[in-house]
Amino acid sequence: MVALRSFVSSANDTASALSQLSDKLSAIDGRPSFVYAFYDETHDDAQIVRFLETRFSGVPVLGGTSCGGTMSQIGLGGAGSIGLLVIDDPDGDYGVGAVTLGDSPSKDAERALHAALDDAGCPGELPELIWIYQAPGQEEQVIAGLRRIVGDRCPIIGGSSADNEVAGRWRQLSPAGVMTNGLVVAVLFSSGGIGFAFQGGYEPAGASGVVTKVAYSADGGRGIVTQASGRRIVSIDGEPAAQVYNRWTGGIIKDKLSGGNILMETSMHPLGIDAGKIGEVTHYLVIHPEQVLDDGVLSTFADIEEGMSLYSMRGDKARLVDRAGKVAAAAAAALPGGTEGLAGGLVVYCAGCRIAVADQMEKVSSAVSESFNGLPFIGCFTFGEQGRVLDRNAHGNLMISAIAFGR
Amino acid sequence: MTGAEELRETIVSMSRELELLRTEAAHASTLINALDALLVVDGEDDPFAGVFSALLPVFDATWAIVLLQPNDSDDVLDCVAAKEPRLVGSRWRADARIAKVLGGRIVTTLSSSDLGSCLLSGTLPVSDDQPALYLPLGVRARRGLLILLRSENKSGFDRNHVLLARKFSLLASHALAARDANRNEAESQRLKQLTDQLTESQQALAFRANHDQLTGLPNRAYIQELVNHRLSHKSADGKLALAFIDLDEFKRVNDLHGHAVGDALLCGVADRVRSQIRATDILGRISGDEFVVVLDSFVTRQQVAGLVNRIRETLQRPFDIEGAQVKGTGSIGVAFYPTHGHDYETLRRNADAAMYRAKTADKGSIAFFSRTLGRAMSDKMRLEQRLRRAYDDRQFKSVLQARLDIHSGKVVGFETLLRWVDERKQVHKPDSFLASAGELGLLDGITAMQIDELVGSLRQLDARFGPDMIYSVNISANQASRPAFTKSIIRQIVNSGRASNFMIELTEESFLKADAFQEQILPLIRAAGIRISIDDFGIGYSSLSLLAQITADELKIDRSFISSIHNRPSNQSILRAVDSLGKAFGIDLVAEGIETQKELSYLQARTGISFGQGFLFHRPAFIDEVIASGLQFPSAGQGVLLAS
Repeated sequence: MVALRSFVSSANDTASALSQLSDKLSAIDGRPSFVYAFYDETHDDAQIVRFLETRFSGVPVLGGTSCGGTMSQIGLGGAGSIGLLVIDDPDGDYGVGAVTLGDSPSKDAERALHAALDDAGCPGELPELIWIYQAPGQEEQVIAGLRRIVGDRCPIIGGSSADNEVAGRWRQLSPAGVMTNGLVVAVLFSSGGIGFAFQGGYEPAGASGVVTKVAYSADGGRGIVTQASGRRIVSIDGEPAAQVYNRWTGGIIKDKLSGGNILMETSMHPLGIDAGKIGEVTHYLVIHPEQVLDDGVLSTFADIEEGMSLYSMRGDKARLVDRAGKVAAAAAAALPGGTEGLAGGLVVYCAGCRIAVADQMEKVSSAVSESFNGLPFIGCFTFGEQGRVLDRNAHGNLMISAIAFGR
Repeated sequence: MTGAEELRETIVSMSRELELLRTEAAHASTLINALDALLVVDGEDDPFAGVFSALLPVFDATWAIVLLQPNDSDDVLDCVAAKEPRLVGSRWRADARIAKVLGGRIVTTLSSSDLGSCLLSGTLPVSDDQPALYLPLGVRARRGLLILLRSENKSGFDRNHVLLARKFSLLASHALAARDANRNEAESQRLKQLTDQLTESQQALAFRANHDQLTGLPNRAYIQELVNHRLSHKSADGKLALAFIDLDEFKRVNDLHGHAVGDALLCGVADRVRSQIRATDILGRISGDEFVVVLDSFVTRQQVAGLVNRIRETLQRPFDIEGAQVKGTGSIGVAFYPTHGHDYETLRRNADAAMYRAKTADKGSIAFFSRTLGRAMSDKMRLEQRLRRAYDDRQFKSVLQARLDIHSGKVVGFETLLRWVDERKQVHKPDSFLASAGELGLLDGITAMQIDELVGSLRQLDARFGPDMIYSVNISANQASRPAFTKSIIRQIVNSGRASNFMIELTEESFLKADAFQEQILPLIRAAGIRISIDDFGIGYSSLSLLAQITADELKIDRSFISSIHNRPSNQSILRAVDSLGKAFGIDLVAEGIETQKELSYLQARTGISFGQGFLFHRPAFIDEVIASGLQFPSAGQGVLLAS
């Protein structure tokens, strides 16, 4: 039987926050099977690591920094919050492996996965689900490495760790301590089953175009170009990408066409790529433009390929709030026994959406809580989300990714 | 949520639910077959031969083995059944993975199985590099497991296989316990109950997966299965007809009376059609307001015509639903096997095309598919494919036609017209593709592209013609009736920062068709500073009270009134009347389609019309050509071809 419990504390200093958590955790006896831990980047990692090692000795732990703290079924943890999701599943297996991302993130990912399987006591076995937390920037290569081992037979869900100001202060928690450029991979063999869902809260706005040039990325230290893909869109339909984007969106970045950070402006006007169809209805993977660079180059938080069609998307607060509840509900409905057997869940909500939703974030946590029937869950806020779109594992931005645990 | 988002959510949710139902039904069917195989074998005969033949295809596995713990050891297992008979009796070591499975877990490997290392003697006749699925079994009160292997070149088992294996493992253990307890009464009863429940559940699932929940009729997927099954058993001279029924104006029924009445209408239609068909025929509901009748078989086409005509007539009588008389007529298209297709999908598509012809010609009528219709349909499909590609490749471009002061010859603005420049650089005018583009739902995006292109060219156009030109963009009546679209166009124009240089041209129909347009959209257009032009004035639903209500900036008099105006007294009278109206309402008048000097001279001398447009002055040209061309300003009083 699987049981979930969530614990959130909130304080400006780490010692006080951990002290609050310690009090709440006193109700737990025995050794849990797995722990998720997310926290505001303002906290001291060393204290958190020591706390977790002491309190949950020998238990696989995965987590890291989350933009602005965490949320749970009680509500938003708020600034300075630390959130734990504790999973009891004596009949299941759980393991964690971690690597520092180097010149070949795909190979690093393979190593981390094998380490996680060994940690779980399940070498060579296909997990029910792989959950990852990583530094932003190499997500597609990480997924490629994991897919080389599991293909699309197993969902790969997770997020890219975030800080509060996109200043590179994100961290990941691993069995060996804290990393700043790491990948932590957890393998879950839950005895109660796991449901999952991955959706964006944006709709096509009408305009679209074809990516005609990207600034390509090199594979490995040898600098060999592997494909014309990257996170810098140079041109769309032969025109500078930033200009085309500006036109599609009616001029929302007109003051920054010569350069600058555009994260705030673009949160409600991302781009989308066609991720496939269900019943003739197109699903979109959302891409968040983050900066205008020289010569009108648009940089994003996800890889784009030359020849891809790009779609102008639009969102609004109400939709982003509603969508969180819908994704959680979809994950719960996907459980083998349906929502009746739900034990709780875990939600990854893009930090960009969080900033865009702003004063309505409490409604997001309420919506998720309602969909999870008030059962324990933890939510983290990330700079990239990984999940499954139409039977394929993918990385996107401004997405919402949820998993639901069955009893 | 907007309409589009709701529709998407509903379609996705229904598709997923249907897929899940079909998967569950397939699982249940497989389990029943496998259990039957276990239970029908007598005495000490190997129960697994039948199980292997039931399970291996479902799991796409090529090899299987059953290992059991002997009573005297936990570390060693005996092989009691195998696809490879010579392995029966071999002994195996229980490694960590096998021990886990014996404890009740289902395990599947990433790729290799390493099974060979567990065989205590002899050589495994299969490769260690084959993906494996392990599931626990209880046999003869002993713990054991079933191991399935796939070919090396296949990908490994996935979650769905694990789910199915979990179900099978539980039921198979019960089944085997019942057998080996020498048909112990309690065990047998429990197993029979389980099997009966499973059968009932499977039948209910299969029904739900295959039938429309509202009408109880076969659904799209099931009809396809049934028809293809019947066709596969047809003799060389076998015949079958497929009638496609599409209810006329069903959306209107929902909008006027509500969905409850709409649903009752669908059930009523199903009942009436069912009452007209024979026992050998099949009626299915394949989507919202679409039904398919499979007429199997017939002797002559007249027989089919008679039956289909009876269906049409029965639908013509109004339906009495909750005290309202609701119309439920349907347009019907018919296709014949084998003449018009050899499979369900082809027949359905052709019957659909015939239905569309019937609906277009006369709602509630019947049409039969023919080769000519087929060719027209193929051409249409090819055009639609090209249009979709053209849309993705942004092949739709704007051309500009100058509008000028007919007295001074000064260019005052341009009308934006649409062209499609295909991959061979051939230019297509709207009448060759606009209707299809509208049906495909591409027009909104195309209009947005046109405005995009125009806004992008404004700087160069300003440099050429000055900043005061007025650029008009055409919006169809259908587009005008959709507030979300028109608001997005207004936003697009406003965001260009040059709203005062834009004019939206609409036909009279737009104002009459949509109340929302007058109440919600017109004020927004006005507030944005965008001008309004009533296009093709005089040939639509011309209404004087309409003119009184709308503050339009110009009326464009349709070219049918301008053509040879100098020779047509009745049109001259009409022009004088329109002239007076224009003066009375303070609206500029534009004469469209001026092609000859005589027409121009008449308009200059005998009317108060100030502006004109037409081939006499300027033929539509692409924006870059207009910018590059030398547009000349003729002297007053003369019409001059301004640009070729």
